[in-house]
Amino acid sequence: MAETKEITSSELKRIRDIIDAHSGQKWSLIPLLQQIQEEVGYIPPQSIEPIAHALELFPAQVQGVISFYTQLYTCPQGKKVVRVCRGTACHVRGGKTILKLVKQNLGIEEGQTTPDYEYTLETVACIGVCALAPNMVIGNTTYGHMNPKKVSLLFADRERGEEHD
Amino acid sequence: MTDKKTIFVCQGTGCVSGGSNAVYEALKAEVARNKLDDVEVDFTGCHGFCEQGPNVVIEPEGIFYTHVGPDDATDIISSHLIEGKPIERLFYTDPKSGEKIPLYSDINFYKQQQRVVLRNCGHINPEKIEHYLARDGYRALQKALLSMKPEEVIEEMKSSGLRGRGGAGFPTGRKWEFCRNVPATKRYVICNADEGDPGAFMDRSILEADPHSIIEGLTIAGYAMGADEGYVYVRAEYPLAVKRFTIALRQAHEKGFLGENILGSGFSFTIHVKEGAGAFVCGEETALMASIEGKRGMPRPRPPFPAQSGLDGKPSNINNAKTLATVPAIIDKGADWFAGIGTEKSHGTAVFALTGKVANSGLVEVPMGTPLSKVIFDIGGGIPRGKRFKAVQTGGPSGGCIPARFIDTPVEYDSLAQLGSIMGSGGMVVLDENTCMVEVARYFLSFTQDESCGKCVPCRMGTRQMLQILTRITEGRGRMKDLEQLQEIARTVKECSLCGLGQTCPNPVLTTLNYFMDEYEAHIKEKQCPAAVCDSLMISPCQHTCPAGINIPKYVAHIAAGEYLEAISTIRQRNPFAAICGRICHHPCEGKCRRGELDAPVSIRLLKRFAADWYAEHLNELPPPQPFARTRKETVAVVGAGPTGLSCAYFLASIGYGVTVFEALPVGGGMLSVAIPEFRLPQAVIDQDIDYIIRSGVEIRYNTPVNMNFSIDDLFKKEGFKAVFVAAGAQRSQRIGIPGELEDLEGFHYGLRFLRDIKVGKHIDLGKRVAVIGGGNVALDTGRTALRMGADAVTIFYRRSREEMPVTEVEYREAVEEGIDIRFLTSPTRIVNNHWKVSGLQCVRMELGEMDHSGRRRPIVIPDSDFFAEADTVIAAVGQAPDLSFLPADSALERTRWETLAVDSNTLSTNVPGVFAGGDFVSGPGMVVNAIAAGRRGALAIDKYIKGDTSSVEMYDLKSEVIIEATTEVEEETWEAQPRIEVPTLPPQDRKKSFYEIELGFNAQQAQIEAKRCLRCDLER
Repeated sequence: MAETKEITSSELKRIRDIIDAHSGQKWSLIPLLQQIQEEVGYIPPQSIEPIAHALELFPAQVQGVISFYTQLYTCPQGKKVVRVCRGTACHVRGGKTILKLVKQNLGIEEGQTTPDYEYTLETVACIGVCALAPNMVIGNTTYGHMNPKKVSLLFADRERGEEHD
Repeated sequence: MTDKKTIFVCQGTGCVSGGSNAVYEALKAEVARNKLDDVEVDFTGCHGFCEQGPNVVIEPEGIFYTHVGPDDATDIISSHLIEGKPIERLFYTDPKSGEKIPLYSDINFYKQQQRVVLRNCGHINPEKIEHYLARDGYRALQKALLSMKPEEVIEEMKSSGLRGRGGAGFPTGRKWEFCRNVPATKRYVICNADEGDPGAFMDRSILEADPHSIIEGLTIAGYAMGADEGYVYVRAEYPLAVKRFTIALRQAHEKGFLGENILGSGFSFTIHVKEGAGAFVCGEETALMASIEGKRGMPRPRPPFPAQSGLDGKPSNINNAKTLATVPAIIDKGADWFAGIGTEKSHGTAVFALTGKVANSGLVEVPMGTPLSKVIFDIGGGIPRGKRFKAVQTGGPSGGCIPARFIDTPVEYDSLAQLGSIMGSGGMVVLDENTCMVEVARYFLSFTQDESCGKCVPCRMGTRQMLQILTRITEGRGRMKDLEQLQEIARTVKECSLCGLGQTCPNPVLTTLNYFMDEYEAHIKEKQCPAAVCDSLMISPCQHTCPAGINIPKYVAHIAAGEYLEAISTIRQRNPFAAICGRICHHPCEGKCRRGELDAPVSIRLLKRFAADWYAEHLNELPPPQPFARTRKETVAVVGAGPTGLSCAYFLASIGYGVTVFEALPVGGGMLSVAIPEFRLPQAVIDQDIDYIIRSGVEIRYNTPVNMNFSIDDLFKKEGFKAVFVAAGAQRSQRIGIPGELEDLEGFHYGLRFLRDIKVGKHIDLGKRVAVIGGGNVALDTGRTALRMGADAVTIFYRRSREEMPVTEVEYREAVEEGIDIRFLTSPTRIVNNHWKVSGLQCVRMELGEMDHSGRRRPIVIPDSDFFAEADTVIAAVGQAPDLSFLPADSALERTRWETLAVDSNTLSTNVPGVFAGGDFVSGPGMVVNAIAAGRRGALAIDKYIKGDTSSVEMYDLKSEVIIEATTEVEEETWEAQPRIEVPTLPPQDRKKSFYEIELGFNAQQAQIEAKRCLRCDLER
């Protein structure tokens, strides 16, 4: 698992701007968190207190919302987030095998990030492209009708997982 | 050219993932290059037929192109648009008929739908409000705002009978009325597009393809209830939907359909978009409102209902996206029009996301009350890859599994509820024989357990407990009393949970327990997963499925590594008939191969043949096989040298017994030798396997029938055998049982006898036209042999359809290639003769009726469909049965009602101590690999009997040392699936007059490439 990455001062500045823009606004906690995440890839834990202050909430409330939603993270993610779909249609059409092959190719388990911060591997409940099952998403690109060959091609730049350390 | 043409490229999420953006750009470039002024390239949202994507439609003629790539742009422009010749290779191919269909409107998938909610999807550019307006968009809004009072709008909704499309089915009009009747100065209307159900994607499609319909519906709802603000809550997983909807909002504002004083009516309304952040429970209305307010999305008890106190404590109304998209159509066309669609209790249409094991995946909209079978088989095109339909799961994780026998149920809220399922959000996942129902229940529970918010105890604890029990069962650690406990917890969670998630999440458990108890029992009692899905119960699905239990991944890996002797030895540990099974096994293993779900299964059978053939070719260079060491003093007799008898003998010898096989005929192999024609299984191959068995230490006495003169009793008393295994096969042809079936009729034969006569070189005069009755292996073999014997035309009459034929795809294809005419759904009723010579068959046509328990439809006679088919020869091949006539009438052996021997299913022992029986002789005609398994079971049982061990026989999968995985090389830069290697065959014209073997087998290089396709499921544990 990756170590915690240091947060840069420019990132802190951008986070500050986002918080200021939402300060005092009604119902804006989730959009604010999403925007921070969009900007720096995750929600650094040190930003929780300023957020709470700006929206007149307790830090625990902010933390509670972050931990409730699966798509809000307090850890840095890889440059590309790989989401293998585990929806029903994918499940019955071999999604499990695709997940296994992706794990082999990246050399990481679900929820982990490669040591070079290139890839984070996640599963997703459904991406709504069931007609093309089994599916997988890398970043914002969806790949349908996955097969073993496609998996090897998508990660062709990487050495096989076990040799990558 | 006169008419202006438009090329519509689908840009729904599905087609975009297939590369439709590049197709769009390529088409635009091509149009510009050719300077075609009267051709426009535009895009649409989802057509709902994502499986076929990227899709392109050429309007106005309505030509529908599927699987279009950027490289096809040149052809589409030059051939279709300039020369006027549509491109056939891009047409849709019907999965059943194989026919190419050019027009959108002629494709079964679309033809049989009635689109109300999806009326505009795929027909308009969702980013151009003009397109929506051109299809009467916002006309309903004008009508409502300018000519109807809010109360009248609600009245219209009530009389339309529209029920909530989110799943619960509450009448929409009444819901609106409640909200309007709560006195307040501020109200909210909310669109629920938090489509979290795995397997549902209709809300996404509407947002992407027709966003204005939701804006219009929500605005009308706001007007009716007196709300000035609306929210649309969209899943975060749908970025394209958010983008398109935001564009649509802006355009609606610009055109004055949103904002202050809309259309001069004095009504003002705005809409906000809220993106979810990944929590399934937010689809529940109170949780959704909490999430909009920026809180943890947890449900709260109702009352107060949202209509009383909702968002920000104000009266609020939440409708599903599909409900709101229906509203404009109802206001525009009137409540009566809508009420005229569907059934008495459920009006209008239902939208389904048809997915899973179905040929045509996509969005399907049909009138309420349409039978499930029509949705799955007519519109959905049935089950792909020749698999059998098992169940359909409706309503997502809150729904239930409906088994094959209820397939004709009309789809509506109430009928689905009666079966224990729900309409839900409209997910419809088709499950086939390769789906494990216990595992499906576990899968849904793992989802709901994960998504349970934890607020109320029954849901939080109950889902966890149910998941634990289900997991235990799928891992082979279940107990029968678990099933009762599961029922009890499920009922408690259903009755006591706070919100819809908990109240419905036991449905998958309850329905599978109700309809698929046999699968639960197989997991618990036999530690078997019949669908070969549950990993903990097996080493690999192929091995788990092989009746003989061959360690398939191991021998495939040996072939991949070039270790052919090790490969053949691995096969022979469980199957002495490697060369035979390499040719004619029906390979159930390939049906469960995990690779088969993704592209095509590994050619396991042909790899087995390769290993066996390699062994035969190198026999002289290899060390001769050593007979098994004789470690036991006892001897065992086997009656019958067919696959069952010889397998039993082989495995007994491997344990260390002396074994003698008694065979009535001068050859071994049983049915394999007497019935299977040379072109499928050459005699030399049979001899090769039998020779190996003899070399392993088995003695065969040919021409030695066991009968009245030399009885089973004599084997014990005179010959001193300690046990006898009877495997006399099933070689008596069954009668059809129709008038005119007279054995001494000239030109009438029974299939088995006919095949045997031809094999021994007898000449039979067939005449020109041969009619074969039946649909199994013997029927096909008979027909193909008749063709080779000089018949001009061979017709096979079968009363069911192709799907029910118990033959492999290879056999069927080869027969058709050779020119055999197979008439499905035709049943002979009488054999007609002329002066004791066959002149033809009187037949009736059949149709398929209700589905039986096994998922096969029963054939029923179509009245007045009689016809006469001329024939010079009629051959009946409708089945075989064991022949017990060699047993003395006073034999103590107990028989069943069906004139077979009664044996214990586990030990194959008869009522007479020391006498065992198995194979076709006991269970009727079956597949060769089952015969081999029966022989092995007999050997293990006899060993236990001789040793005085009374425990039951257990045949476990065999795990041996792991072989290092051979790495697969990626040869070319294509995204196409890597299909299995096709095996070379003799061309059909060379086959018709010869008995040479048709299939030629792999060479070493082909075998290695094919073996490397194995995904090595065995290495996972």
